[in-house]
Amino acid sequence: MSGGLITLDDLPGPVTEPRKIRRPFVGSALFFAMIVIGIVMLYPFFFMIDTSLRSESSFLNGGGHSLASWRALDSTLPWRQQLVNSTIVCLLSIGIILTCSTMAGFAFAKLRYPGASAVFVAIIAAILIPVQSIVIPAYVDIAQWHLLTSYTGAVLMYSAIGTPFATFLMTVYYRSLPDEVLEAGVIDGLSYPTIFLRIALPMSVPALATIFVLQFIQIWDDLLIGLLFLQNPSERTITVGLGALAAGRTTDIPVLMAGSLVSALPAIVVFLIFQRFLINGLTAGIGR
Amino acid sequence: MSSVRFEYASRIYAAGHRPAVDRLSLEIPDGELCVLVGPSGSGKSTALRMLAGLEPADGGKIFIGDRDVTDLAPKRRDIAMVFQSYALYPHMTVAQNLGFALRVKRMPREEVKRRVEEAAELLELTPYLKRRPRALSGGQRQRVAMGRAIVREPQVFCMDEPLSNLDAKLRVSTRTQIASLQRRLGVTMVYVTHDQVEAMTMGDRVAVLHEGVLQQVDRPLDLYDRPCNVFVAGFMGSPAMNLLPGKRVTDGVEVLGTVVPVSRALGAPGANGAVTAGVRPEGLQLAGHSEPGTIPVTVEFVEELGSDGFVYGTVDTGERITVRSPGRSHPSVGSQVGVRFEPAQLHVFDGESGERL
Amino acid sequence: MTAPAFLLVAVILGWPMLQAFYYSLTQWDGITATYIGPSTYTHEFHDPAFWRVLQNNLLLILAIPLALVIPLGIAFLLDTHVFGWRIFRSAYFLPTAISWVVIGMVAERFFAANGQLNSMLSAVGLGFLSTDFLSGERSALLAVALTFVWSMIGTNMIIFLTGMATLDPHLAEAARVDGASGWQTFRRVTVPQLKRFIQFALMMTLISAFTALFSLIFVMTSGGPGYGTTTLEFFVYQTAFAVGQFGTGAMLGVILFVIMATVGIVQIVLLRTKE
Repeated sequence: MSGGLITLDDLPGPVTEPRKIRRPFVGSALFFAMIVIGIVMLYPFFFMIDTSLRSESSFLNGGGHSLASWRALDSTLPWRQQLVNSTIVCLLSIGIILTCSTMAGFAFAKLRYPGASAVFVAIIAAILIPVQSIVIPAYVDIAQWHLLTSYTGAVLMYSAIGTPFATFLMTVYYRSLPDEVLEAGVIDGLSYPTIFLRIALPMSVPALATIFVLQFIQIWDDLLIGLLFLQNPSERTITVGLGALAAGRTTDIPVLMAGSLVSALPAIVVFLIFQRFLINGLTAGIGR
Repeated sequence: MSSVRFEYASRIYAAGHRPAVDRLSLEIPDGELCVLVGPSGSGKSTALRMLAGLEPADGGKIFIGDRDVTDLAPKRRDIAMVFQSYALYPHMTVAQNLGFALRVKRMPREEVKRRVEEAAELLELTPYLKRRPRALSGGQRQRVAMGRAIVREPQVFCMDEPLSNLDAKLRVSTRTQIASLQRRLGVTMVYVTHDQVEAMTMGDRVAVLHEGVLQQVDRPLDLYDRPCNVFVAGFMGSPAMNLLPGKRVTDGVEVLGTVVPVSRALGAPGANGAVTAGVRPEGLQLAGHSEPGTIPVTVEFVEELGSDGFVYGTVDTGERITVRSPGRSHPSVGSQVGVRFEPAQLHVFDGESGERL
Repeated sequence: MTAPAFLLVAVILGWPMLQAFYYSLTQWDGITATYIGPSTYTHEFHDPAFWRVLQNNLLLILAIPLALVIPLGIAFLLDTHVFGWRIFRSAYFLPTAISWVVIGMVAERFFAANGQLNSMLSAVGLGFLSTDFLSGERSALLAVALTFVWSMIGTNMIIFLTGMATLDPHLAEAARVDGASGWQTFRRVTVPQLKRFIQFALMMTLISAFTALFSLIFVMTSGGPGYGTTTLEFFVYQTAFAVGQFGTGAMLGVILFVIMATVGIVQIVLLRTKE
């Protein structure tokens, strides 16, 4: 296994024969334990679904289920607009991250030019910078550029925060691509930019998917940057909208739970589709 | 179609180090299949990559036909290359792989389609045109790599160890296919391999390289019969030629205690007449133990190949030698046998320079 | 080709980092900054609130072993390929997709005075333990820590499962042949081989404990009661954006950066020495 990325077929699970549980009693006990853990891990989903199907009074005082809270959702949380905002911010940021990181990763992995390793270290070192350490000066800078009242400021922040690790991932991935395939491109008459676009980029789709899902979940679920850098309520993402409501403490809890479900759904869908790529991304930093 | 000419072409990776290719001069006539052979690090692949334009020449010139291509980009050299790993584009189908270079050249769609189908027909790839490389066997991938070169109808084919990823059996059948394909297309081919059997069986001529320096270029049998120095003698042929220390005496060469007569005129060896005597396993004859004029050898190991066999043994003075033993009755391990030189098959090299005398 | 990435990172991350170093030495309200010098730091080090915040961070770190041991055990159980393990794996991993904001909201109800935790406690006869968890400083921090541990389970479990998939199963078999029990095999054979993965999970969890809990705290406790659940990263936000002391906030950010950079460098050094 070359490079740092784990290949697609390499999902967790023993390489050869798993340890078989042969004693039926142990097997059932284990299965039962798994169910219990499952209940603990999925508890928030049960809670959200159950609560959202109650009215506020039935939540507080006990009582039957109804769709009252779902009907009230519209007036509490402009969720349609916010879902659109979240999607726009996510896609714009991820677009920038992918553009920057694939180009840089390809250059670091396959082209030699003076100063490359210094630039590489500079970009990768930024992984160590916590967002909270730069958020205050960045906020003031971006306020001075008058970018707090559009998507631009938040998109710039998300892009910059996501780029270092994405660049690391792409560099590792491109290093694992055999030089001969790129040389075949040279022989076939391509220039370096076209080799990047027509050979390297299509070959790196798995790595792109990994970056996409990592960043999507990160940006979709983020509160801090959105809270500070999306000053117009009409541009708020759904997570920021929810966070602002939740901090208010006076809100109708069942409605909040309905909103939470709405906000979580896209991330869950992306998660379920791209699960294996997310696993690759989470363990890519180990390097093998 | 064109000839290829290297003129003192050099490649130096790092200043102060031994050049990867050292002033290579080699002329390959139009339509020839020339094999570059040598151990790893001999510079054979580098020389090929210089011809393809993947490595710059740090000195000298390279010509394809009458064109000086030394400073041309690969795409303008009119060459095609088959890589060791095949380097197929994994995201394209076989048909797309085959046609890619043509599409890059903006050749009309119809023409591309025609050429791809022709090449697929020739290489029996037609049923696989819609598949991706991943779904092909090793041999099929190899043929796609060949096809990708063929569709371009280039002046020169560059082959960089194209068979080394195939299993032994497939390698043998594919090498004859490549050689006959080359003859049929009549195209100049430069073929790099580290396998001397491949070199012997495929090449119109074989160029042996060692540590960046061209040792000898010749037709395969000439190379086998008249190696120009100790390196070529030891590299070509399997099992390897026996190379034994000897001494020039008046009527021949003294080796392992006997004098082997040499009738032809020998050049003068260097210091105090020391020479290296070379003899291939089939240049030695087995005889009974202590027959007059034989060298006593203790048999250590016998390799039976069915049609014949090879006897590996040790001489009293410690040298190891290999002798071909025809037929099926071979001496047993541990026994003592006598070994006799066939004088006509003796190669004599200078003891110091290693050059043929 | 590296220019876009470099410019983006330099302008949006690198430059503000340098600004943060400068502003940490000033009194700054976001508009005008007055240079004061390193005394800003000594002044801060005399503030008991600052130490209280650091203490909270340290207490959170104490929860990290739990955030490693629990997923390690779960991964080991799943690695037996118990019936339905793929579904369990996805289910345990699913909370990773959920925002800390949502998790925080649910956790807030869970730990509330009339929340599920207290109902469960009285249901099993432990009613005397019932309390309004989020209104006590220590119990609120405990609630945050438990929520944090819970949300790290999925990620760490996946890291360990990936690690276990790389192990040579013959080693465990050899241990079995040598007469080791299941527990001994796990303890003496599996865990030592997972060292690299455990170390990686430890780092990820540590980094999360310091820098990923803003949203959770914001929604669940707002840092309170008092400074009860204010961690350093939350303190940065509060100092600058709630109190308006941008200079002090920048300084706290610098301190956070120094801590994280130290952790990161230690990690790199550890990895290097392994090779």
